[in-house]
Parts: sequence; C-alpha cells; structure tokens
Amino acid sequence: QVSELVQFLLVKDQKKIPIKRADMLKNVIGEYRDAYSEIVNKAGMTLQEVFGLQLVEIDTKRHLYILINNLPCTEGKYLCRDEEKEKMGLLLVILSFIFMKGNSVKDSALWEFLHLLHVDPGKPHQVFGDVRKLVTEEFVRQKYLEITAIPLTDPPEFKYQWGPRAEKEISKKDVLNSVAKIQGKDPTFWASQYREAEAAH
Amino acid sequence: ENREAMLNSRSNRLTEALEEANALFDGVCRAREAALDAQFLVLASNIGKEKANELHSEMSAFDSTAFSEDLLTFMGINRTEETDDSEDGSGGFLPIDAWKKLGEEALKYFKRAPVFHYMLGSFKSEPPVPKQRIERQKKASRGKAEQAMPAQLKKMEESHQEATEKEVERILRILQTHFENDPNIPIGFFDFTFDPNSFAHTVENLFHVSFLIRDGLARIKLDEDELPVIEPTKASGGAEEDSRAGARNQVIIKLDQREWQ
Repeated sequence: QVSELVQFLLVKDQKKIPIKRADMLKNVIGEYRDAYSEIVNKAGMTLQEVFGLQLVEIDTKRHLYILINNLPCTEGKYLCRDEEKEKMGLLLVILSFIFMKGNSVKDSALWEFLHLLHVDPGKPHQVFGDVRKLVTEEFVRQKYLEITAIPLTDPPEFKYQWGPRAEKEISKKDVLNSVAKIQGKDPTFWASQYREAEAAH
Repeated sequence: ENREAMLNSRSNRLTEALEEANALFDGVCRAREAALDAQFLVLASNIGKEKANELHSEMSAFDSTAFSEDLLTFMGINRTEETDDSEDGSGGFLPIDAWKKLGEEALKYFKRAPVFHYMLGSFKSEPPVPKQRIERQKKASRGKAEQAMPAQLKKMEESHQEATEKEVERILRILQTHFENDPNIPIGFFDFTFDPNSFAHTVENLFHVSFLIRDGLARIKLDEDELPVIEPTKASGGAEEDSRAGARNQVIIKLDQREWQ
C-alpha cells in the first residue's frame, strides 16, 4: 500500500494541483482506511528518504496535500522543461511584486506592473499564450496564488496574495534576496520588508 | 471611477470629492438624492479605508518601475534608441529566452518537487497485449505443445527454404535460357551475379548461385583470361559423375562494398 501511495502521489503531483485526501483514500488505500494515517506517514518517510521530497498538508480543513523539495538547493542546472522554467520566472516576479508591495495587491496594480514587462492580459503572449488564464487559473489552482474579491467594488475588483503552496515552496527572505540581486542593492535597502522577511524565516 | 487616482496618497481628490458632496447635500430635498448621497458616502469610506491600509502597508517604498527596468535588463532586453511615446515603460525587444533565463534564476529559490516522469514513457494500452500473447504461448508449450513448437519452427524454416529454392530455381532458369540462346558463349561469372545497382542484391545472387554449384546444376570454370565463367551443366548421368569426379575447387573471393564498386 505504501509504495502504491508513493507512486500515486508522484503522478498526481505532475500537474502541481494539490492532492485531496479523499482521492488518496479512494484510489489507493481503499479498504485499509483504518491504517490511513500510518500509511500516509510511511509514504511521507519514503518520499523523504528516497526522493528527498516532503509531503505537506496545506489545508487542514479540506485535507489538501502537496509535494515539495526538501533537498538543499543546488546551484547547478535544474533539470526541467523550458516551459516550466518560464512559468516559474513569471511566478517569481508576481510573488516578488506582491510581497514588496505589502503582501496584497489589486489586480489592476499587478497587470499595470506586468505591462511594463511586456506582459498583457488581453494579448496572446509569445511565451505564455493566454497570460490571464495562466495567472488567474493555473497558478491559483496550483495554490501558488490566491485571488479574493474586494467587496463593494463595481466592476468587481480582486486582490492577489501568496497562496499556500508559495508559502511552503519559497521564503520571503529568498524573494527579497532575489529582488535585491536583480536591482543590485542590499536587501536591507527595504527596511520593513527586510524585517518581515527575517521574522518569517 | 478614478479610484486609483484617489488612492494615490499624494492626492487630495478624496477630500475634494467629500467636500463637493457636502456642499451638494445642502441642496438636497428629495429622498432619491439623499439615497445617492448615502451611496456616495459608503464608496468614499471604502476608499478611505483602503487609503489608510495603503499607508500602513506602504512598507519601505518599493519602486516597481525601477524593478521592472532591472528585470528587463536581467532578461537581456535590447533597448531601442528611438523614443517611443506611446509606450509607457521601456521600449525594446526581449530575446526569445528572456523568461527562461529568469526562470532558471527563480528555480534556485523554489523548493519545487521535480515533475515526475516515467523514464519509459507514459502508460499506453499496448504493453499488456504482448504480455498476454507471450503468456498464451508459454502455456501452450507447457501443455500439449511440444508438437506445437516444433511445428511452428518447421513452418518457418520451410518458408525460408522455399523462398531460397525458388530463387535458386529462378536463377538456374535464367542461366539455362541464356545458354539456350547462345550455347557456346559462357557467361562471365561476375556479369551474371553482379547487380550494378545494389551490393546487397549482388550478395544475394552469389548466395543463390552457390546452391546451383553445390547441387551440380551449374559449373564455374576459368576461361582463357583466367576470369570465372558460369554455365549450366547438362542434365545427364554423365554430368553427375563429372561433378563427383571433378575437382572440387575452392576459390575464395573477397568481396566488400568498395571492391564491388
């Protein structure tokens, strides 16, 4: 059962959409329901020891799980497809913008910013295609971003924040460091962001 | 409308709007207008709340325009010289790998589990089928099948032999036909077997001719020029004796593609 669950989790993780406990029970554990937590724990251990991956519950109410990488970051080339790299680049930019602007931004502000990078929601992008879909649907489904409606706005406006996957996969400190690196400044240049990043670390 | 403009911490637009509304209210005498006024107040207070939030989470001022410029530089933008007034932002062309470059940098910070791929490709419906076939064959051989297996093999060999035999016969017929037309002129061995267009075919021809020689249906001799010639043997008892008595000479000719050419 354990190895079946491990395989199940690895395959499910391909799309980076969080895995529901219900799916785990239905597809793999089945009749061994009582031993559920034991099986999950053992699977987690296997994932850690064999693959260096961590099984994390990001939603304790709805029981959603993701896999994150627990191995120390290697400076060398990260093996993945170009398409994945490009999306992560865009994602980092968005997460950085959100954090540096106080952890929450309005959609209009975000798109205004992305426009400066030649990324527009209305136009098909040479690299990303339908950017609006990528940002508002894919990233949200993967729990990298969270979009909530701002009340009493007409036409409705939304605010963007970090999603639970982002919280687990990247730290504010790293984001600040990447911003600092790109801008050629010291992270302490942005005092309050620096304080927040250190506190969260 | 003008929400953004009002939110700008440096603008007094909100204050101005409030003052205007205040002034207008004095002239209100109908309920509908009062309702509108109330609606306006709600909107205004929302904006006010947002403004207050912005002030609080202003953090250290973050210049997003400067950030975007630095990002473009990092991605390797080729800035154009001409001043493009229609673009508010840096004009220029991003190289095709701009985002990939940024992504490689980004991946250093993300603790992202590598996407899992089966090394041998994804599941297809094919694999189970051959397995079944093999299993069936195995079962068959275990069961009655010592007969089944050799029978199969025999069949294969037969078909092979048949094909060869047919070819050999065909070549013999060609040789005989040729000789019928010109009985005194032997055919050059090389002319007969060599296919100028295909080395593989040449080898095949040689292979088939060797059967003819072995079975005594043809003969290779050396002519005056010491070049081998081939001729069919006469179908008579004498011929049989001849082939038995005749010296069986072996000539080894080395032939590779280059020589063939």
